[in-house]
Amino acid sequence: MSGAQLLELENVTRSVLLPDDSELQILTGIDLSVSEGDHIAIVGRSGTGKSTLLNILGLLDRPTSGTLAWRGTDAARLSSRRAAAARGRDLGFVFQQFNLLPGRTALENVMAPLMYSSGRDFWQRRRLASEALERVGLGSRLDSLPQTLSGGEQQRVAIARALVRRPRVVLADEPTGALDVATGLAVMQLLDEATVESGAALITITHDSNVAALARERFRLEGGRLHPLVQEVAR
Amino acid sequence: MNNLSRLGTGFVAALVEAWQELRIHRLRVLLSLIGVTIAVASLTTAVAGAAMAQQLMTEQLERYGRPAMISTYVSSPENLGPSQNSAQISAAFEKTAERFKINYTSVVGSSYGARATHQGLSVGTQIQVVDPEYGPMHRIFAQHGRWLEAEDAANLSPAVVVDKTTMTQLGLADTRLPATIELKNGADSVSVTVIGATSTKDFGMEGQLWMLPETYERWFSAGTPLNEVTYAMWVPVEGAEELASQFARQLQAELPGYYVDASRQDYLAWGQDEGLKQVALVVAGIAGIILLLGSLSLLNVAMVTMKQRIREVGIRRSFGATTGRVFFSVMMESVVATAVAGGLGVLISVAIVSNPKLINAVLATGLDEMPGFPVNAALLGLGVSVAVGALTGVLPALVAARVRIVDAIRV
Repeated sequence: MSGAQLLELENVTRSVLLPDDSELQILTGIDLSVSEGDHIAIVGRSGTGKSTLLNILGLLDRPTSGTLAWRGTDAARLSSRRAAAARGRDLGFVFQQFNLLPGRTALENVMAPLMYSSGRDFWQRRRLASEALERVGLGSRLDSLPQTLSGGEQQRVAIARALVRRPRVVLADEPTGALDVATGLAVMQLLDEATVESGAALITITHDSNVAALARERFRLEGGRLHPLVQEVAR
Repeated sequence: MNNLSRLGTGFVAALVEAWQELRIHRLRVLLSLIGVTIAVASLTTAVAGAAMAQQLMTEQLERYGRPAMISTYVSSPENLGPSQNSAQISAAFEKTAERFKINYTSVVGSSYGARATHQGLSVGTQIQVVDPEYGPMHRIFAQHGRWLEAEDAANLSPAVVVDKTTMTQLGLADTRLPATIELKNGADSVSVTVIGATSTKDFGMEGQLWMLPETYERWFSAGTPLNEVTYAMWVPVEGAEELASQFARQLQAELPGYYVDASRQDYLAWGQDEGLKQVALVVAGIAGIILLLGSLSLLNVAMVTMKQRIREVGIRRSFGATTGRVFFSVMMESVVATAVAGGLGVLISVAIVSNPKLINAVLATGLDEMPGFPVNAALLGLGVSVAVGALTGVLPALVAARVRIVDAIRV
């Protein structure tokens, strides 16, 4: 069922230098392949390196060793400019704390990624952002500021923002972490439906097994290593 | 073409972002820009004020002769003054001026101790005997009525132009011209027609009155010869000294036995504009210090604000903003803000400098004609405000561009 390969991690490690000059190993020997249409969940307890892995997958961070290939190209060979272009064009992020831009309306928040696109998408940003908000059921809240929206609505704005440039991969970092169970499940269903509809890959990082259960592939991150939980779950 | 289009879109997008940022943080921006507005208003006012004062002073100084003004004095062999043979000297002067192709020339003669009266009011007046060209040569023009013309020599009633002091002292300030007054010079008392009035009042309580040489010759010279006669020429500044020297030699040749002296007599030759330049420099220096303090305050606020906006920068980087784009956007915020503040400062300055009551109160003078606001000062104010925006935007822009995305998002 999978399409073209988008991301491939081979023996990726990530470590950081601590103030006392000792090295902290966060990720060790990670292998992962992500293709169009995949829905992957990575579960793990806090502090196991889930967000670090997501940052590497999202071209926000680089592995200490190993290879990260983005659409067949070694990400280490991508200039920061090309990596930024790839992030803007092909990757969408949904964060736990929503990370909406303060002081901007829902519409302005969704328009924000389109400010970094060129050509027609930039000049039609208002229409595209309105349509994206319509799709997540917030067509009546275009001019609402984040603080006037509920947690679920804020996350839906974040989802609309992540999808507005029609990315190939959506990376969701604890997308339901700040929501109650019912709202969290509704948000995840929305995210799942939207990515299935667009054919984008969805990688969700969560510590919620109910959220992880929605994915077709599941991994557990423990001790810096990635362990497959279920190879394929029939939908 | 594609790259050009992308560059254009990027520029417009950065401007839109900058404007959004300013709109959202308008109170903070407003408070931080007060200093820049005041500084730009001060700087522009100082430069404009100095330029206007310089223009006013120039106009005042040019009443004594616009550069380059060559004054020619001819003394008789008996050392009795030139008036005894004025016709011969005038003819020689005109011939020489024609030879040198000098278009603006005028006889300048003076007679002191005259008195003008009108309906019981009187004022002491200095008579200036001049040709019609004397007006443009000395930046003197009639604010009411008209200046002297060659045809006025044939008038049966002597035509004169008077200054503001004479008009005021004779109670003619609101009278429509021409008006008739009595002019007593020595033993002669003649009814003269005031055809024009200037805005000048150079001699304080004593008035000034201009008439053509033919008019003076016909009505007054028999009783009261002119005190002194010189011949003025308005020539290009370039090479004026050399021209004066050659003119003197040629005129000397026309008037054997006479002593001829020709030299520059305008304010540039005296170096009277130096003091004003120094005043302008001091005022601009003070405004520069104000600007520096305003800029430091702006930089301080911008740096603190940027620390608080690190997370926002991280989010934008996750959307695909490059380091260059982040740098440019933050820089543009600063430039757009200071350009708006600078524009406001320039408007305040225009309101101050273009207010006649305020300027008259500050300069303690009665200006009849307000010089226009110097465009250069406005452009300087705007240019300085944009430069301040760019300079104070560099540091926060560098901080924003160098932030690590993963650290910024976690903040």
